[in-house]
Amino acid sequence: MLGRTDGTPGLARLCEVAVDVAAVTGAGIMLAAGDQPQGGLSSSDGVADVIEELQFTLGEGPCIDAHGQGSAVSEPDLAAPAVTRWPAFAPAAIEAGVRAIFGFPVRTGTVRLGALNLYRDRPGPLSGDQHADALVVADLAALAILALQATVAPGALAAELDASFPAVVQQAAGMVSVQLNVTVGDALVRLRAHAFAAGRLLSAVAEDVVARRLAFDDPPSDVP
Amino acid sequence: MVDLLILLNDRCVEALDVTAAGVMLAAPGGDLQVLASSSAALRAVELFELQAEEGPCVECYRTGEPVIAADLTALDRRWPRFARRAVEAGYRSADSLPMRLRGHTIGALNLFRTALGGLAAPDLTAAQALADVATIAIIQHRTAIDAHILNDQLSEALNSRVIIEQAKGKVSQASGLDVDQAFDRLRHHARNHNLRLTDLCRNIADGALNPTALDPLGPSRRL
Repeated sequence: MLGRTDGTPGLARLCEVAVDVAAVTGAGIMLAAGDQPQGGLSSSDGVADVIEELQFTLGEGPCIDAHGQGSAVSEPDLAAPAVTRWPAFAPAAIEAGVRAIFGFPVRTGTVRLGALNLYRDRPGPLSGDQHADALVVADLAALAILALQATVAPGALAAELDASFPAVVQQAAGMVSVQLNVTVGDALVRLRAHAFAAGRLLSAVAEDVVARRLAFDDPPSDVP
Repeated sequence: MVDLLILLNDRCVEALDVTAAGVMLAAPGGDLQVLASSSAALRAVELFELQAEEGPCVECYRTGEPVIAADLTALDRRWPRFARRAVEAGYRSADSLPMRLRGHTIGALNLFRTALGGLAAPDLTAAQALADVATIAIIQHRTAIDAHILNDQLSEALNSRVIIEQAKGKVSQASGLDVDQAFDRLRHHARNHNLRLTDLCRNIADGALNPTALDPLGPSRRL
């Protein structure tokens, strides 16, 4: 199913550096446009991929918060959080093997590009140094993303950034919008709700829609 | 820019097992310059190295390959003046990593240690990764690209991508085509009507144009 994303060699190496300097199990970088996550750009392992996918599916999680509020988000014990922030994301992430999770905004100045995610398979906070190092890696990720985009003409999307774009989800949203005669925005909400209720990833549900194994205009018989 | 390089040096010193770190970059004329050093002592050694035109950093920049000097005290023949000066300053080993982009070397990241022996392989890998990303950042700064303009272009490109995929999905569902055939139909229609593909897809995606209203695939209208 999900493999390690390495469409962007520079960013993949950055994830490895993040794992190293922050002494975490894995790392991933999420790209966003406006407030919308646009998928995971790069990751150090399969669990980090799942973390990005879960956030994309559920619309909540540390990267989305870090990107949205423009500051670092830290949950040193996902199983016993001080404040419940991510009611849907937390149990799914724990099931995937995540015990501590941290999000850092990927930005330069006021330009917000996404977030860096770090996770550990055991609970525990980042030290001050590890936190500071992660912030530097996040800053470098922002510069790397802009540098990639700087290599293509306006209007085009750098191939490295395009490689991780979740095309199938947008295609499915278009199909479901016709099936239900709703806007594509509403169709995306329906897809997310279905994925959440079925305990599946959004991309997997979307693939079923595009392959016509699942349709939303079927009479309600639940199991497709 | 210098802020970033100082940060890079500090992180190398903190995260890796090195005493001091410095970045040398080639000026537009091709001469190396010391851009940032994590300590005054290292800066003095690096400046000396440039003046003497010998040492690991200079060699690394010249060859574009990493240079590992695991024991500076044993290098009085390879780089006699540099080695003496570095040992006097308290350093015993030095690693110099190229800052490269697409085969072009623009400078070197220099890591000095008071202990003998080069950096361990994982530290070297991490340091080279930091050097690689710093190189990208430096190139970006050199070409003086505005982050806001780039970000706008990135957002627009992503939005176009979203719109095109959504339109493919709508046409696919409405016409019973697979998504690739749907894309062909969109392109076919755009070509026939001299429309920008993104504009056509936006109209389909936001509902302004019915996906069934597209020209059917088949022989082109052109004679």
